[in-house]
Amino acid sequence: MSPRGARRFVADLLRGRRPRSFRAQDTDLDELRAAIMLRSAQPGSGVPREEFVTDLHQRLADQLAGKSTTALAEPVRGPRPVVDGTRRRLVAASSIAASAAVVGAVADHVLTTRTPASGGQAGPQTLVPDAGQWRTVAASADLTEGGVQGFDLGTVVGFVSRTGGALRAVSGVCTHLGCRLALDAPTRQLNCPCHRTSFAINGELLRYQLRVPPPALPQLEVREADGAVQIFAPPGQA
Amino acid sequence: MLRVVSEEFYPDWEAVYRDNVARVYRLMFAKVGNRPDAEDLTAEVFATALGPLRVSASAAEVRAYLLATARTVLAGHWRRTLGREVTTLTDEDSLEAVPVDAPTSADTASRAARMLAQLPESYRRILELRFLESCSVREAATAMGISVTYAKVLQHRALRAAAALREVSE
Repeated sequence: MSPRGARRFVADLLRGRRPRSFRAQDTDLDELRAAIMLRSAQPGSGVPREEFVTDLHQRLADQLAGKSTTALAEPVRGPRPVVDGTRRRLVAASSIAASAAVVGAVADHVLTTRTPASGGQAGPQTLVPDAGQWRTVAASADLTEGGVQGFDLGTVVGFVSRTGGALRAVSGVCTHLGCRLALDAPTRQLNCPCHRTSFAINGELLRYQLRVPPPALPQLEVREADGAVQIFAPPGQA
Repeated sequence: MLRVVSEEFYPDWEAVYRDNVARVYRLMFAKVGNRPDAEDLTAEVFATALGPLRVSASAAEVRAYLLATARTVLAGHWRRTLGREVTTLTDEDSLEAVPVDAPTSADTASRAARMLAQLPESYRRILELRFLESCSVREAATAMGISVTYAKVLQHRALRAAAALREVSE
């Protein structure tokens, strides 16, 4: 008998509902794949609803007209029953930022070199220096759940945060013209002092008043070792 | 309705949308198997892609770019829902190859048919009834002349057997 999560996933598919998330095991995967493959062989399943096509068109028009900057990525997602709501929401937000970052890179790549880019494994645009080292920016104990801390390593400035148990670090420089971002702790936002641009602490662009949306903030590699939070950054100038 | 062939250019984002929304949706449905997720992911692809998109790119480039975006969006979806990449968009998936007018893509249907053909009759039948014809367990049990309890057991076994076939894991 397959584990409960996988069984429920299949039952949801059969009811045409959004499957509930669960922590899948490798042994579940083929069964999930078989179920998905069978469901998508249903006649008519691959045709979008007229309403959906019309509605999405309208939302895109609004987005492109600048009525909302993050509107699409967020409210599109309906409520989904989750075990751990907060974590999911934050993870979801970060992966949207991640795709935005990749896309920024992909767009230039595709359009200038005509090479199909593969975004699948690229993940978010991550700053990995050629000659980096793990440099401590905070004591683990000082960065508690939900916390955000700025750091300045001389070579790189940024913000590190812990959300849903996971660490994340983003660059602290605005992707528009390079002004240093300031943390607004109550709202957990990074604000640009120059042009009223704001980013989420996961790097996602929240607000801008520019003609072209600036890309999401680059991510930095972050780890926890020996009770310290460390960033992979170039060595500092002594 | 505007028709654009791949050597041409899209006049504006609306043309990009009209020409590709059904293709992106169909690709996504084949990867997630349910409408709510397919709709959300399709929306996410366009929301993410249209902003930075330059319409000076050729239609083929725009599609390559939409596909690359779709790949990232799908990977993100699995990461946040199941923590495993259940399905991926591979190099074999292309937006051009998606026939928008057919009720099901020939590829999806034929893969499923090949898979079912390898299963014993009762397994094949229960999967057809439940997954392809959307029968309830009770309806499927009645159609097969078996009890509801046994229909459930049979469905689990059949899906497990299907999962073990090469068509699925490749």
